[in-house]
Amino acid sequence: MIKLTVNELPVEVEPGSTVLEAVQKAGFNVPTLCYHPKLVPYGACRLCLVEVEGARTLQPSCTFPAAEGMKVQTDTEKTKAARHFVLSMLFSERNHFCMYCQDTDGDCDLQQAAYDEGMNHWPITPPYKPYYVDTSHPDFVLDNNRCIICRRCVRTCAELVGNHTLGIEERGSANVLVADGNVPLGESTCISCGNCVQVCPTGALFDRRSMYQGRETDLTHTKSVCLDCSVGCYRVVKTRDNRLVRVDGDMDATFADGLLCEKGRYNPVREDRVRVNQPLIRRDGELQPINWEDALNVVSTQLKAHDSAEIKAYISGRQSIENLSAFQSFFKENYKVGQAALLGHDESAAVSFELAREFGAFESDLNALLEADAAIILGADMINDYPVAGFMLKRKLSDAFNLVMVTKEANALANHFTNRLVSVGENYEQIINLLSCYKDGGVCDETEKIIESEGLAAHRAYRLLQSVQLWQDPVIILGDEFAKLENLEALKKLVRYAQQIGAKVIIMKGDTNSFAASLLGLELNPEVGKSPVAFYALGDGHACHHALEGMKNGGYKIVQTSYMDEFAELADLVLPGKIWAEEEGHYLTTDGRIELNRQALEADGQQRSVSEVLADLSAKSGFSLQTDWQAAMTSKVASIVLA
Amino acid sequence: MAKPKVASDWLAGCAGCHMSFLDMDERIIELTKLVDLRATPITDLKEPDKEGVDVGILEGGISNSYNEEVAIKMRERSKILIALGDCAVFGGVPAMRNFVGADEALKRAYIETESTDESGKVPDDPELAEMQHVRPVSDVVKVDVFLPGCAPSADAIFYVLAELAQGRMPEVNDLTNNWH
Repeated sequence: MIKLTVNELPVEVEPGSTVLEAVQKAGFNVPTLCYHPKLVPYGACRLCLVEVEGARTLQPSCTFPAAEGMKVQTDTEKTKAARHFVLSMLFSERNHFCMYCQDTDGDCDLQQAAYDEGMNHWPITPPYKPYYVDTSHPDFVLDNNRCIICRRCVRTCAELVGNHTLGIEERGSANVLVADGNVPLGESTCISCGNCVQVCPTGALFDRRSMYQGRETDLTHTKSVCLDCSVGCYRVVKTRDNRLVRVDGDMDATFADGLLCEKGRYNPVREDRVRVNQPLIRRDGELQPINWEDALNVVSTQLKAHDSAEIKAYISGRQSIENLSAFQSFFKENYKVGQAALLGHDESAAVSFELAREFGAFESDLNALLEADAAIILGADMINDYPVAGFMLKRKLSDAFNLVMVTKEANALANHFTNRLVSVGENYEQIINLLSCYKDGGVCDETEKIIESEGLAAHRAYRLLQSVQLWQDPVIILGDEFAKLENLEALKKLVRYAQQIGAKVIIMKGDTNSFAASLLGLELNPEVGKSPVAFYALGDGHACHHALEGMKNGGYKIVQTSYMDEFAELADLVLPGKIWAEEEGHYLTTDGRIELNRQALEADGQQRSVSEVLADLSAKSGFSLQTDWQAAMTSKVASIVLA
Repeated sequence: MAKPKVASDWLAGCAGCHMSFLDMDERIIELTKLVDLRATPITDLKEPDKEGVDVGILEGGISNSYNEEVAIKMRERSKILIALGDCAVFGGVPAMRNFVGADEALKRAYIETESTDESGKVPDDPELAEMQHVRPVSDVVKVDVFLPGCAPSADAIFYVLAELAQGRMPEVNDLTNNWH
């Protein structure tokens, strides 16, 4: 530990700590602007200057390394004058008139820094030079007039997301923030994850939909988990007067640096489908209103009118564990219907379960990606299907990172790495053979043959194969294209190989809650359709083409959905469902975390959750629903994922 | 001791700061017990006393030669000058025209406005004040107290005046400092 004093108070910090960390640990506050706890310190804004005894000048505390015996002063006449000067220069450069800006009163770090310094005017009048404003992006605006060139956005885009879209052009006061060396944001390589907007300390990058909708303190913040894939990122849902204003990443969370992707941040606010506000029944070919009591009676009558073995029930992977569990209990245990299944074609969760039978708990959590120096990715599209996990890989672009990938279609991830081996197609076993035989001692007889038959670049292949021995923290990621029950033997071989080379294994498990559905015993990969009565518990998901086509062959169709979607168009009875923000429920992430999605909005009273509907139907049939899922779920997860 | 004399005027602003002043409600009665309110835009007397006042208050920025004259006169006649509100302190909303220039702003306002037909014309009466680059009051005359805000709250204005009336120099920070 390094011992130093801050304002005469002794403090100890880890070697490698910065003065700022020591100052904060000692309980003092130094104002910062370019500093962000998730980013590498940069020292751009000079607001955090402190006095270090013996140093010739004031030093930026965010980048200055703490050293043994150092004496730091944070609040002297000299530091105060420097802070005042730095702020005066920042305000004098561009259009920082607060009354023109939506980002004020606690939302703007620049304004807050000025308040904290007791500034009530600017000593230098700005030059009124207009800077480039980029309104080409559908979700946010870039206003260079408000930019202080702290580069938090640029660093977030590069260091955290690994996308390298944002950069700074020109020199000195002409500095402007641009995308791809000067392409409008909306036409650039921007992936619309919006993390840059969230870290912007001023109003230079701002959200189009939530601007002027209230300050942070006017909004209700609900900490929750993202439901747009199974990665399970943490997000803060911001609402006002029962209206969704904005979704942000939860930067306090320990997972994935609080990042969100485009889906997680913007899907909820882009929603423009029409809600179903009341139960509807098809009469004379038209959907007509009906009350809940009558609607539930219709469901009961339909279910009783047929042999339960002929009845089919489907549920969306976006439903909470509570809803999945009620569904399983109602249809499978009590009603014993012919099929109670998850809508989706993902067997990866079932594969995990099967592999765990042989290997015991074998899977790692997604944090393994942070430490990894090599990845073997088989049949997973990390960029499109699990973007935030993809960020954790993409950001390794600048490191000596080794990548082996087999993919149905070439995807963007492979383009980023130099030490890579990409096989386009589905010949997973060949690559597994290639890797494992090399490991057994030099090049095996098969190597050349495999390299040739796979169309791999030989120089790349050999370079990478030679590096396998040197891998410290390899990770093997399996996706739905390969993690299928029919490939179980090959998968077992791969897990054995992983254990040999000390690689961590992660199986990506498809939709939001498909892992939980699988552990609850719901059928996967159902053949949708052909049954006299079918119940579809959909909620707010989007219609999948495969299910929709199958549904057309069915008999009486009962659809619980939040929106007037294609499923509702085909339904004989439509039950209005709640959306993600209107009900509380648990979700099991791909790496075995059970997370709570908290309620952030109130439904209008007509809309009901799947559990509420099934509880009412159970009461009519004299069943009792099994609602205790937690203990069984936790122990099943523990048998698969390493603690 | 005679009550301190206070005068105010408005320049390139929206009068909102004076409305906020009135928003202190019945505290105005208390205030008048402490100070002698002289010329203001909302009372009969329009110019600060020739023999001077103790406190002068200016709302709005300097946008033309007339504003400049008024500011200079107020400065000459006040012991302590307050810049009241964001326009007086920073330039404020009128200063937005600095980004395009006065000519563009006049053209947009008098000729290109949606409600103007082809007879639209920029006023050119020689009596009119000459338009200038919009500046905060402190760019023209020395300011002693800066009270930013759009508008500063009635509480902040009451605090500043009550402090001055009692012979103390107000400190505008923390609760009273609000730039919006």
